[in-house]
Amino acid sequence: QGPARLARLPLARVKALVKADPDVTLASQEAVFVLARATELFVETIAKDAYMYAQQGKRKTLQRKDLDNAIEAIDEFAFLE
Amino acid sequence: MAERPEDLNLPNAVITRIIKEALPDGVNISKEARSAISRAASVFVLYATSCANNFAMKGKRKTLNAADVLSAMEEMEFQRFLAPLKESLEVYRREQKGKKEARKDKDKKADSEEQDKSREEDNDDDDERMEEEEQNDEEEVDN
Repeated sequence: QGPARLARLPLARVKALVKADPDVTLASQEAVFVLARATELFVETIAKDAYMYAQQGKRKTLQRKDLDNAIEAIDEFAFLE
Repeated sequence: MAERPEDLNLPNAVITRIIKEALPDGVNISKEARSAISRAASVFVLYATSCANNFAMKGKRKTLNAADVLSAMEEMEFQRFLAPLKESLEVYRREQKGKKEARKDKDKKADSEEQDKSREEDNDDDDERMEEEEQNDEEEVDN
C-alpha cells in the first residue's frame, strides 16, 4: 500500500478531538492530517495485535478479550489502560 | 461550545473498514471489539495531541505542527509509524501545493488584469480549510 495522500478518517472529526484539549491553542491542517493518518495506522496495528490472541484461541472472530489481552501485553498500548 | 460525547467519536464505518482491511479475509470482529478499538483510537488522538502540544510549547509555538505530531509518535514508541507518516505528509504537501497552483491559475484566467502574486490567500471557497488553521507551505519536517 502506497502512502495515502488522503486520510480515511474525516479531518473535521480528528480536529474536534484536538480542540477538546484545553491546552491546545491552534493546530495546523498538516498536523491534523498527520494525526488522522497516525490514528489509522494505530487502528491497523491494534487490530492485528489483538488478532494474534484470537488465533491462539482458534477463533476467526476478534473479541473484546483479545483487545484487552493485547493492551495488557504490549507496552505501547499502556496509555490505554 | 461544548462538544457532545458522540462528536468525539470517530465514524464507526471508517473504523470498521480500516480494521477489516488490516485483517485476513474471513475474519470477523464483534461489535464490542469494534467499539473498544474505536474508543482506543479516540484516546490515541487525545494522548498524541497532548504529547505533540508539549513539543510545540517547548518550541515556544502556539500552533501544533506536523513535526510536533511526528515527535509525539516517537515519544509514544510508535517509531514504526514515522516512515509511512513522513511519506504520506510528502504526498499531502505536494497535493496541497498543486491545488494552490491550480487556484492561482484559475484566478489568473478569470481576471483580465495581472494578479498581484503576493496577495494573501483567500480560502473562503476551500472546503478543506478549517477555522484557525495556519498555512504551512513552508513548513519543514524535522528528520
